[in-house]
Amino acid sequence: MAAPLDVAPSGGEVAPEAALSGVSGKAIEGRSLGQIAWMRLRRDKIAMTGGAVVVFLILVAIFGPFLVQNPTIYHANLINPTFSRPNGPFGGISLAHPFGVEPVTGRDVLSRVVNGARVSLLIAFLSTALAVGIGVVMGVIAGYFGGWVDAVIARAMDVFLAFPLLVFAIALVGVIPSSAFGLSGNSLRIGLLVFVIGFFAWPYMGRIIRGQTLSLREREFVDAARSIGARGPYILFRELLPNLVAPILVYSTLLIPTNILFEAALSYLGVGIIPPQPSWGGMLSDAVNNGYYSIDPMYMIIPGLAIFITVMAFNLFGDGLRDALDPRSGR
Amino acid sequence: MRRRRTIGLAALGAAAALALAACGGGSSGGGSGSSSGSSSAAGFNAAITKVVNPSNHKGGTLTFADSSTTDSTDPGNTYYAFSWNLTRFYTMPLMTYKSCPGQCGLQVVPDLATGPGVVTDNGLTWTYHIQPDVKFEDGTTVTSSDVKYAVERTFDRAKLPLGPNYFSLLLKPQKPAYPGPYKDRSKNIMGLKAVQTPNPTTIVFHLAKPFADFNYVVAIPQTAPVPPNKDTGSNYQLHPWSTGPYKFQSYQLNKQTTLVPNTFWKASTDPQAKQLPSKIVINWNVNANDLDNRLLAGDLDVDAAGTGVQAAARAKILSSPTLKASSDDPISGFLWFAYLNTVVKPMNNVHCRMAVEYGANKTNQQTAYGGPVAGGAIASTVAPPNVLGQKHFDLYEATTKPGGDLAKAKSELQACGQPNGFSTGIAYRSDRPKEVQAAQSLQAALSQVGIKTSLHGYPSGTYFSNFAGVPKYVHNHNLGILMGGWAPDWPDGYGFFDFITAGDTISPAGNTNIEELNDPVVNNLLNKMAATNDATTRNSYTAQIDMQVMKQAAILPEVYAKSLLYRSPNLTNVYVQPYYGMYNYAVLGLK
Amino acid sequence: MITFIVRRLFATIFLLIVVSMITFAIFFLIPRLAGQNSYELATQYVGRNPTRAAVLAIEDKLGLNAPVYLQYARFLKAIVFGTHYNSGTSTTYCPPPCFGYSFKTQQPVWPQMVSDIPVTLSLAIGAAVIWLVGGVTIGIISALKRGTLFDRFSMGLALVGVSLPIFFTGLIALELFSYKWPIFPNVQYVSFSTNPLLWARNLVLPWIVLALLYAALYARLTRAGMLETMSEDFIRTARAKGLRERTVIFKHGLRATLTPIVTIFGMDLGLLLGGAIITEVTFSLHGLGLFTVEAVQNQDLPEILGVTMLAAFFIVIANLVVDILYAVVDPRVRH
Repeated sequence: MAAPLDVAPSGGEVAPEAALSGVSGKAIEGRSLGQIAWMRLRRDKIAMTGGAVVVFLILVAIFGPFLVQNPTIYHANLINPTFSRPNGPFGGISLAHPFGVEPVTGRDVLSRVVNGARVSLLIAFLSTALAVGIGVVMGVIAGYFGGWVDAVIARAMDVFLAFPLLVFAIALVGVIPSSAFGLSGNSLRIGLLVFVIGFFAWPYMGRIIRGQTLSLREREFVDAARSIGARGPYILFRELLPNLVAPILVYSTLLIPTNILFEAALSYLGVGIIPPQPSWGGMLSDAVNNGYYSIDPMYMIIPGLAIFITVMAFNLFGDGLRDALDPRSGR
Repeated sequence: MRRRRTIGLAALGAAAALALAACGGGSSGGGSGSSSGSSSAAGFNAAITKVVNPSNHKGGTLTFADSSTTDSTDPGNTYYAFSWNLTRFYTMPLMTYKSCPGQCGLQVVPDLATGPGVVTDNGLTWTYHIQPDVKFEDGTTVTSSDVKYAVERTFDRAKLPLGPNYFSLLLKPQKPAYPGPYKDRSKNIMGLKAVQTPNPTTIVFHLAKPFADFNYVVAIPQTAPVPPNKDTGSNYQLHPWSTGPYKFQSYQLNKQTTLVPNTFWKASTDPQAKQLPSKIVINWNVNANDLDNRLLAGDLDVDAAGTGVQAAARAKILSSPTLKASSDDPISGFLWFAYLNTVVKPMNNVHCRMAVEYGANKTNQQTAYGGPVAGGAIASTVAPPNVLGQKHFDLYEATTKPGGDLAKAKSELQACGQPNGFSTGIAYRSDRPKEVQAAQSLQAALSQVGIKTSLHGYPSGTYFSNFAGVPKYVHNHNLGILMGGWAPDWPDGYGFFDFITAGDTISPAGNTNIEELNDPVVNNLLNKMAATNDATTRNSYTAQIDMQVMKQAAILPEVYAKSLLYRSPNLTNVYVQPYYGMYNYAVLGLK
Repeated sequence: MITFIVRRLFATIFLLIVVSMITFAIFFLIPRLAGQNSYELATQYVGRNPTRAAVLAIEDKLGLNAPVYLQYARFLKAIVFGTHYNSGTSTTYCPPPCFGYSFKTQQPVWPQMVSDIPVTLSLAIGAAVIWLVGGVTIGIISALKRGTLFDRFSMGLALVGVSLPIFFTGLIALELFSYKWPIFPNVQYVSFSTNPLLWARNLVLPWIVLALLYAALYARLTRAGMLETMSEDFIRTARAKGLRERTVIFKHGLRATLTPIVTIFGMDLGLLLGGAIITEVTFSLHGLGLFTVEAVQNQDLPEILGVTMLAAFFIVIANLVVDILYAVVDPRVRH
């Protein structure tokens, strides 16, 4: 599954408008890139909405589980045992259960969604961090040093891109026993998923960063730095990296939703989070695989919507971030 | 999702009365020559007690679908109930189950053989005569050597590892051990000394010990004749040489099997099967929900696995009177339950196990397996109702207080010295959704009593071989509760209890006595059962063993399994064969 | 040019070998590292009576007790030279490329995969045509008509398409168009040679579901790339030269826009050729994706290895083709 990334480079030029703002009478000061980007982002209502939703989701993931009821408590009295479905319309929505209850078990859906948010977002963030971490390091090294270092790393990226990711995820989970490397249960499973998703996604980031580094390397400011005696690490950290922050930020934001969808796909194929810990992908795959979607459509719609809204929000925010950081992509 | 028939070694003693009960010239499969024309919906559960749409109308393509694959189509190498049911299309074993609904279908009757085994030599020698004019699909006549060869194949566990191994366990051993007909072929074909073929229509089995249920053993598809020159070893599954009403036309592995009529089959030699459809197609690996939808829409005729429809279809069927009138809810012969291990601390104390018995919420467990219709009735005994000699009793209020009895559970905890509860692990098969639900449900109920459990899921392929069935693993990982299911290979009390409760069946790998019960009362009763010839006495021990196992709280029974089957209105001669717990495939026809 | 192709071919072969090593390591080494021995591994394939003798016999037959590097050597040798297999009554020759025999059914893996390839091919290529044409067209129009209702609407739709999991859309599609309103009843693969019309009809739903996701992606990518390109200097130059707008867009702008798209298309198509797993599972299409899922569920190592290698092969070849196309188009790449 390709990540929704494009390969257009974004530069770091200062936009001319910086010189012109001062309308309010304040002393005219130059604005930093960050400030300019922030201003433009603020004006983009859609992106800000996306961003607000993202922040809200993160807050829900962190604090939500403390505010809702226990997601593992069964309410058998709310289930019709012959049909295994919740009594009452829309999946048993009531004051006590604003999102209804789960078929067969009667567990509260709202609390499962909130607890699931934590797991799903955790996996997405951690795996993205891993991918970005490895990808940036490899990409910068390959782009900057060139020569055989570049060749080796580029080939390594090819190797990783050649692996069918889903196959590996399913197979690895099957191959690792239920306790290994000092972990067990869900900590092991989450670690495994983070590792698989992140470790096989780094080439996407790596390629982009490598491309960026290659083009930045030829810029004048790098030559300038070199001419005053700066050496490799200095150039890497003080000159190149700050200019890479923009694409790193943008593509990370766009990689997260891909990884959320990945976790959902892995749950559908049976290698997701171990019950009874809820996850959005797990709820969706239960709804599909066990046929709940037919007897209680809300049980499929709710986690589906949750995933959908999250992915949308990240995409919108990421788009806006990219537009804000790249002055040429129009106002 | 798939039913597994596990081993049950039957005892000594004559089960003759059961096996050979003369069923009068019964209408086993629509003898009335009336053609179709009956209305499409015969009523809910109609096929459990009678034949629905009896007809001899020929023609049409009978289409099966399965959401997975079979273990093998080689009759010598398969161990699933539905697979044994399907082999009846292309094999004639020595004996088979009578094709009739109700109790009638539990009898074992001669198929290739002319009569049940003649027992001599104090039960050590069983002689069968086979019909002289049964032919393979190429016209060659079946001889007793072909049956002997079929039995010999089951000795090579490397080539054919998947089927039952009764013959290597029961037949008189030879030195060196018989390696099967694939090693050193010239020497070992017909090299099994315990089976003799004095003439082309007689086959003689020499047993190591008397074994009165041997007729049941030869009813397993492994005795279906295999001509040695047509055997292709591990490739035999691609085209088993047919003696039944149909033969293989093509088999694309994991995709589709096509059968066409075997022109050399004669109905007079095989009254338990019919040859009505002009073609049979089995589609493998069809998405489960897709399968149900197509079944209800009429694009498919039968779900081959025979374990019932999924939740979505279940809701559609039970809420629609027309659909419900075309469905059946038979007992499948399985018990779903949890083993309560008697070695892992603190479950080694019987009162801690009793706390689990009282603490479990039986209604929730039932719901996890699909509720009263699709899951089954709440169980209070280990033996399900169709095992001979089963009696109902209820030691832990499973039927009187199905929500569990927290007060009694807590007092049992006091009695075992854990007043604040304890911790243990629950093992289950992670690719069986119902078991996943049941494990979670049990965890939730026990936590109310104070018993904290952690869930451990394993793939079903390795559950018994590498995890739950390995006592050392169970002890090392503190698995006090292990989910499972059980049905015997034939409907007999000894067959049901021996492998799961006898002390001497505990083994270091592939263990079936997972609760590791080694109770002298149980062991003694099982031995007595094995030694008794009289059927009534033997059957009376069933309930006693059951009671003792429950007194030891070694097993937590959950449901007597049922399957909700949809009976396509296109089918003729449909009825539930109680041995398989699903429709009898060998007699089906189309309107 | 030739040297370029030859060099890339060698790199490709090297890549495949590395992939095979890593795959082998993952399935054979990692269980050992996690504490499992070959006896335990063999028990899975013995059915329900794992007596010691039976397990040892299987362990021997499947070659599991040999050291990992030896098993790998045998694996490579079989691919290049083929191998012999004793089915019990005769010895058959499994010609190269021989990916061994399934642990479960003892049948050769390669013919099974080959029979699955047409299904995946039909699914992937059909969907690819739809999403490429559809997605790119919409992206271009959106970029040109930026800010209009069309643009907002199509980009909104694209965003939705990118945010929905395939099994979700697949299920909805089946529910609506196959069960509820039987426009496409009985979605089963029929081979092209048997009945071309039915082949196409039964693939329409899977094509659309699969293409939806990618079309949305490509629409967004194309639009972004188009906008990027149209603000480049050389476009300004072209306009300044007085060329017609249409020439500017299609002759100059499109080429620059499509270059990265083609790269990504190569990667995506290559990935799909190895098996569109979720789509195939949802629609019960017996392609490489479904084959993969079964192989993993059965822990059937030869099948897993075989399908992984085949999938990697497709990806690598797709990238190779893309690279060669670039080299044809842009001479700077060839050095």
